[in-house]
Amino acid sequence: MAEVNANLESKQYIVVNLGNEHYGIDIKYIDNIVRMQNITRVPKSQEYFKGVINLRGEVIPVMSLRLRFGLEADQYAKDTRILILKPESHGAIGIIVDSVKEVLTLDNDSIEKPSSKNASDDKLVFLSGVGKNGDELISILNILGVIEDKEDE
Amino acid sequence: MDVSQYLEIFIDETREHLQTLSEQLLILEKEPENADTINEIFRAAHSLKGMAGTMGYKVMQELTHKMEDVFSEVRNGKKKVDANIVDLLFKGLDRLESILDSIVTEGNEGDDNCQDLIDQLLAVINNDAAPAAPAAPAKKKGGKKKEAAAATAEATATAEATATADSDKEKFRSFTYADFESHAIVNAIDEGMHAYGITVYVQESCLLKAARAFLVFKKLEELGTIAKSEPSTQDIEDEKFDLHFSMAFLSKESIDKIKEGIMNVSEIETCYIAELDKETVLKASVGEAQESDEAEEAKEEAKTETPAAAATPAQQKPAAGATASKPVVNRSVRVDIEKLDDLMNLVSELIIAKNGLVSFSNAEQEARSITAGFNDQIEYLERITTNLHQSVMKVRMVPLESVFNRFPRMIRDCSKKLDKKMELYITGEETELDRTVIDEIGDPLTHLLRNSADHGIESAEERKKYGKPEVGTISLNAYQEGNNVVIEVSDDGGGINVEKVKNKAIEKGIVTKEQAEVMSDKEAIDLLFRPSFSTAEKVSDLSGRGVGLDVVKTNIEKLGGDVEVKSVLHEGSSFIVRLPLTLAIIQSLMVTIGTEKYAIPLGSIQTIEDIPVSDIKYVQSSEVIHLRGSVIPLVRLNEVLDIESSKDKNDNLTVVIVSKGDKLAGFVVDDLIGQQEIVIKSISKYIDTPKMISGATILGDGEVALILDVNTLV
Repeated sequence: MAEVNANLESKQYIVVNLGNEHYGIDIKYIDNIVRMQNITRVPKSQEYFKGVINLRGEVIPVMSLRLRFGLEADQYAKDTRILILKPESHGAIGIIVDSVKEVLTLDNDSIEKPSSKNASDDKLVFLSGVGKNGDELISILNILGVIEDKEDE
Repeated sequence: MDVSQYLEIFIDETREHLQTLSEQLLILEKEPENADTINEIFRAAHSLKGMAGTMGYKVMQELTHKMEDVFSEVRNGKKKVDANIVDLLFKGLDRLESILDSIVTEGNEGDDNCQDLIDQLLAVINNDAAPAAPAAPAKKKGGKKKEAAAATAEATATAEATATADSDKEKFRSFTYADFESHAIVNAIDEGMHAYGITVYVQESCLLKAARAFLVFKKLEELGTIAKSEPSTQDIEDEKFDLHFSMAFLSKESIDKIKEGIMNVSEIETCYIAELDKETVLKASVGEAQESDEAEEAKEEAKTETPAAAATPAQQKPAAGATASKPVVNRSVRVDIEKLDDLMNLVSELIIAKNGLVSFSNAEQEARSITAGFNDQIEYLERITTNLHQSVMKVRMVPLESVFNRFPRMIRDCSKKLDKKMELYITGEETELDRTVIDEIGDPLTHLLRNSADHGIESAEERKKYGKPEVGTISLNAYQEGNNVVIEVSDDGGGINVEKVKNKAIEKGIVTKEQAEVMSDKEAIDLLFRPSFSTAEKVSDLSGRGVGLDVVKTNIEKLGGDVEVKSVLHEGSSFIVRLPLTLAIIQSLMVTIGTEKYAIPLGSIQTIEDIPVSDIKYVQSSEVIHLRGSVIPLVRLNEVLDIESSKDKNDNLTVVIVSKGDKLAGFVVDDLIGQQEIVIKSISKYIDTPKMISGATILGDGEVALILDVNTLV
C-alpha cells in the first residue's frame, strides 16, 4: 500500500554506508565532507554526540549516526567520514558515517514512503522513504528528524 | 525637500535633547528657582523644536513649541514651577518620545496629534500669564521660531524694507568681484537675466547651519545660477561662517519669487535681496568695495531665453555629496555596530592565526632551527593583536550611564504612583560595558528597581515603626571587579521574609515541608527565581518579590552573567548582578584533565596552589582545604566532567582557586598548560551542553577546547 509519488522530478542524494545498510541524504543539506579528525568530547551531552570539531574556525557539533540509530559504536577507519550538514535556518552539524559511497540521482517515483509495517516506530522519524537503485535499497534520511532531538531519552 | 539624510542625526540628537530635558526637569522639580536649569531646559526645548520643524514633523514641533512657551514663561519669571506643570511637561516628554519611536519604526509621526496635551499646555500658559507677556499667543503658527520678541520684530520689519533700510546688513554690497565673476554677471545682464545680491541670515539657534545653507543653495540653483558666494561654498559646507552668507545670483525670476524660495527653508532668520546693475558690479570688480545705494532697479529687461551663465565657476557649486552637518565640537563618533562586529571578527581571526604561529614555534623549538628573530616577530604580533583587541573592545564599550539615566525619572514616577517617599542614588554610572550587554541590561535593571520601589520600600508608617527615616533609599551601584562588572540594586526596605517565601513555596507544591525546613535562607531566596513562583506572587499579599524575577535571571544568564540576592529582614535587600566585561575574547588559563584540555577564564582565578593530599579535610563528607584562613571547597573537575584522571591518587593536587563574588572554590586539575588569549565560540544548540561549559575555543593546533563556566561550578 505504499503511496507512490506521482511527481516526476528527481533529486540527487549522497549515499553513505553504515554497516551493511545504505542511507541517502538529500544533497541540498550537504555542506562539506571531511575526514575523521580529533573530536573534543562535550561532557554530559547526549550519548550519540561525539563532541565538537573545528571546521575553518567554526565549532561544529558532531553526532554518530550509528549511535543515533542504536547501532554498535563506530570503529574509526580510513574510510570514516564526517558529513557536514547545513539544514536551512539551522546551524551546521556533522554526522559520522562509515564511508561515503556515491552521488545518486533518484526519481521521486522510485522512492516509497515508509510504511509502519516494515519499520519500527522510532526509526520512522529518521526516514522519509526508501529508494530503489537496481537491487539496492537506499533508506532516505529525514535529516531534520535525525538532528532534532524530539524524543529525548 | 529631501531631509532623509539628516534623519539619523535628528533621531540621535532628539534622544539627547529629550534626555537633557528629563534630567533638568527632575532638578527643576526640586529647585524651582534654578536659573541655570531653566536656561538649559529652554535651550534643549528650543533646539528640539527647530529640528522637528526642519524635518517637517509638525506634531512634534507644535508640541515642543507649546512646551517651550511654558518654559519661556517660567524663564521670564511669569510662572512658578509647581508639581502640576512638571507633571504636564513630563507627559509632554513621554509623548515626544513615543512620537520619536514612531518615526524610527514607522517613518512618520503616527496618528496622535497630541491636541489634548497642547490644549492643556495652552491652558497653563494663558491661565494666569501676565497680560504683558509677548510670548505665546502672538505666534501660534508652528515652524516660526520665537526669539526674544524684540529681535524678531526688528528682523521682520527690516526684512520687509529690504532696499532702503540697513544697507550694512546687505553684505553683498561690499562684494569684490574677480574679473571672471564680474564678467559673467555683466554677460548675464546683457542676456536679459537679473543679477541680484542676496544676503541670508540664519537663526542664531540653528543647529545645522551648513545644511540650511545647502538647502538655500539648492533652492537658488533651481531658480538660476549663483555667480559668487561669500564665504566660499566650500567654507559654507564646512560651516565656516557666522550667521549670514551672501551671494551674487543670476536669475530670470522676480525678487519676490526668490525670496519666497529662500524663506521656505526653515530656520532662516531673514534675507536681503536687491538687484545689482552692471556699473556696481564693474566698479566693485576693480577692487573698490562700493557702498551703493540703489534700490530696486528697473525690470524692463526683456525676459528672453538665455543659456544660464556658462561662466559660473565650477567650484562654486555646492557638492551635493558633502552636505552632512559638521558640528563645531565633535565629542563622540557614532559607529555602526555591524562594522564593529566585522572588525571584531577580523581580530578574532588574527588571534587564531597568532596562536597557530605560537604553537608552531613551540613545536619547532627543540629542533633549534629557529632564529631569535622569529620569536621577536611572534612577540611583536602578539603585542599588536592584544592592542588591537583592546582598542576594538574600547570602541564597543559604552558607559552604563546610557542605561542608568532613565532611572531617576522612573523612580520619581514610582514614588508618585505608590505614594511612598524614596530617593534613588546612583554611583558608578561611568563604568563601561560591551555594547551588546548594555542593550540587553536595561529591562532586567528596570525590573529590579521597580521591584525595590514597589515591594522593597515600605510605607511611611511602617518605616517609622522600625525607626527608619521616612524617605526610603534605593541605590544603584556599578563597579568593575576583575573581568566582571557588578551592578547592585539595593534598598533599605523590608527585606525578604524567608519564612513567608517558604510557606508560599510549600503551598505551591514547589517544595515539601521537610525540604523547606532544612532549606537555608539562601536557598529559600533562590526560590524567588523559579518561573512558577512568580505567577503565584501576583495574587499573594506576601512582600511580592518574585514577580518576573525568573525573567530577570534568564535575561542576565543569557548575557553570561548571574544574579545574587542578599537580604536582611527589616533592613533591606540587594540584588547583585554580575556581568562579563566582554563577550568575545578573554584571557584564560589552559589546563589538562586526563587527556582533555579546558580553559578557565583568568578573571575569576585567584591563585594556583600545590596541595598535598594529606591537607584535604572533610566537612559534611565533602572535601575542603584550609588555605590562609579560609575554608575552600574542592571541586574535582575530573569527576564533574567524567574524565579519568591521569594522576596518581597520592600525588600532590594542583588546585586552581577561583572566586565568584566572595565565594571561593578550588578546582582540582591534572596539569597546567599556561595562559592564553582565547576567542569564545558558541556551541550550536543541537548538542546538549551542560551549564558548566560556557563555550568553546579553537586552540593554535586547530583543536577545540571547552571553556569552563566558573559561576556554575562554584
